[in-house]
Amino acid sequence: MTGPPRPPKPIGLTQMHRILDEVHANPTIVNINRAAEALLPSAHRLASAEIKIGCLATFTFDAIETSLRLQALRAGIAADTFIGPFGRLEQELIDPASGLAESRPDVILLAVRLKDSCPAIYEQFNTLSPEQSKETLRDWHDRLAAALRAFRVRSNAHVLIHNYEMPAAPALGLADRASAASQVDVIARANDALTDLASAMDNVRVMDYDGLVANHGRLNWTDSRLEYFARMAVAPRNNWHLAGFYIRHLRPLVGPSRKVLVLDADNTLWGGVVGDVGLNGIELGGDYPGNAYVAFQRRVLDLYHRGVVLCLASKNESGTVEEVLDSHPDMVLRREHFAAMRVNWDPKPANVERIATDLNLGIDSMVFLDDSPVECELMRTALPQVLTIQMPPEPAAFPGVIESLDCFDQWSISAEDRRRGSLYKADTSRRSLKKTTVDMPTFLRQLEMTMTIYTDHAPHAGRAAQLTNRTNQFNMHTVRCTENDIRTYLEDPNHHVFTLALADRFGDSGIVGLAVVRCDSDRWVLLLFLMSCRVLGRTVEQGFVAWIARRAREGGAGQLIGQFLPTAKNRHFADFYKTCGFSRDDDRDELQAWAWDLQTADPSLPDWLQVIVSEQTE
Amino acid sequence: MGKTNDRRFYETVAAILQLQVDDVTDEISPENTDTWDSLNQINLMSALEQEFGVTLPIDSLEAVDSVAALKDLLAQHGVRV
Repeated sequence: MTGPPRPPKPIGLTQMHRILDEVHANPTIVNINRAAEALLPSAHRLASAEIKIGCLATFTFDAIETSLRLQALRAGIAADTFIGPFGRLEQELIDPASGLAESRPDVILLAVRLKDSCPAIYEQFNTLSPEQSKETLRDWHDRLAAALRAFRVRSNAHVLIHNYEMPAAPALGLADRASAASQVDVIARANDALTDLASAMDNVRVMDYDGLVANHGRLNWTDSRLEYFARMAVAPRNNWHLAGFYIRHLRPLVGPSRKVLVLDADNTLWGGVVGDVGLNGIELGGDYPGNAYVAFQRRVLDLYHRGVVLCLASKNESGTVEEVLDSHPDMVLRREHFAAMRVNWDPKPANVERIATDLNLGIDSMVFLDDSPVECELMRTALPQVLTIQMPPEPAAFPGVIESLDCFDQWSISAEDRRRGSLYKADTSRRSLKKTTVDMPTFLRQLEMTMTIYTDHAPHAGRAAQLTNRTNQFNMHTVRCTENDIRTYLEDPNHHVFTLALADRFGDSGIVGLAVVRCDSDRWVLLLFLMSCRVLGRTVEQGFVAWIARRAREGGAGQLIGQFLPTAKNRHFADFYKTCGFSRDDDRDELQAWAWDLQTADPSLPDWLQVIVSEQTE
Repeated sequence: MGKTNDRRFYETVAAILQLQVDDVTDEISPENTDTWDSLNQINLMSALEQEFGVTLPIDSLEAVDSVAALKDLLAQHGVRV
């Protein structure tokens, strides 16, 4: 006889990732169930974000729930799920007392198959006239739009909906493509109509389910036995992939997306060890395997152009890696693409921490890629917040590693994103300037900063909304806004939206600051005030407040009110308004009010900040 | 393949029904085990198909009403546990 079971040791992040990596490599029902048992009870402790997901499906969805919660955890999210009764999608959306409504979801997944909502389009296509199929689809989309509008009245939840999958075997067979009444065309047009429906509504987005099914093989996606027996649209072996697909689309809406990719050099960017075989001895370019490394670098360059910040951490003599970057004819990635390079013999976790400090970004925004299992294990143990990915042994699989990374995904890419890599590069140049100068004013004057402030400038609405969703540290009142929310402020005569662009001698940082002000007759209230962490500590934030205070005074206001809502991330700036000259106007702990008396205040700007007030669309 | 069929069978059933391996006996059934619901009925069959690389007829699903019946079903498809 054994004694009573000892209470299990609480699971940590490192162990969680190990378990989830095993499931990901082999997502059998047994492995998924075991991982769920081990991890889901501790999900809220292990995750860095929480979300409530409502799932409505036209097929049996229950079997996907466990995978969904595990895939969420893999992305750092503790998901609470509500699974609606299958086939009651419209009722659940419309009824204010439905289970969905009561679950108060942050995100809704609409797992809709056209095969279920308009079965004739798939099952009896050849008996339908083109008018009938058009009519059937219009009727369905009208009902869907009406249900979504009814839901939208009560909830701002993000809505993610499947597009419609193509049939594996069109009803007219080979003739489908040439036919005037092609089934594939009809479904493609239904997908266009769905996209239009979604873009006409706020926060409704379409997910390319058809692409997912195609990637895994149309003939492999469904287990027809379970489809007819239990209305399961997805074979159990694909539950994990479908869940991952949902989380890929949902994660950028929740926030914790990654920003930095730290790459190893030897046997990652190229084959071989440059310190041993020299510049001309490494495998790069030409035939296999050199061509696989080139393809890998091209995928990484794609990430750079999407706004991912690239860094390099290599155990080598300083100078060897740099020589490859500068001189090897087949390198795709060059020195200019890397915001930071750490080529030394220090442990890699120390280098990654140093890079995070240099770039002013959190450890939890970093991804680390290395071929060495030892380095990967060390990183996972020392810095479990870093997403560590070990390169597979086969170089031909390297490009696929980048293609399957979903942690950098976003729903849209702004001009700032496209230039981010070079922005951070300029930032590291600014920091090296900081090292050589003596006092702050001298340093700040050397930066030659110009801030350009725009008032109610409609083209900035998208970027402004993005800033509210991305900014966690210098965010005085963290409220996530949609582009439409910003437009509402822009168009309201009692509100002003100020956007701030910053340029200096090292480059243009783009739009980095946002203030939304409510203009009451006697005072202006800063509803939102935030700034990208990239430019913090250069007095731009103080300058921005001072400029707004002056505008308020010109507008006849006697007070400028700042609001501060403490969060886990913005604590460092709790005294910001105080240091600017504001004093507490209440004694609340949650949403604090700070007042600046404009009759006595001196909202002056330092001499090192040049201000340009843009006259566009005032 | 170090594990015996026997061991693989019990571990699979235990993982799906959230039981300890030692607690999986022939008498375990939907009647006496809360976790053996209709979803896990399907999960049990699918997991055993994945584990042993066999295809089990879907119409046997309703007939399987105990661990003993699951073993018989597998035996009919060439897997002795």
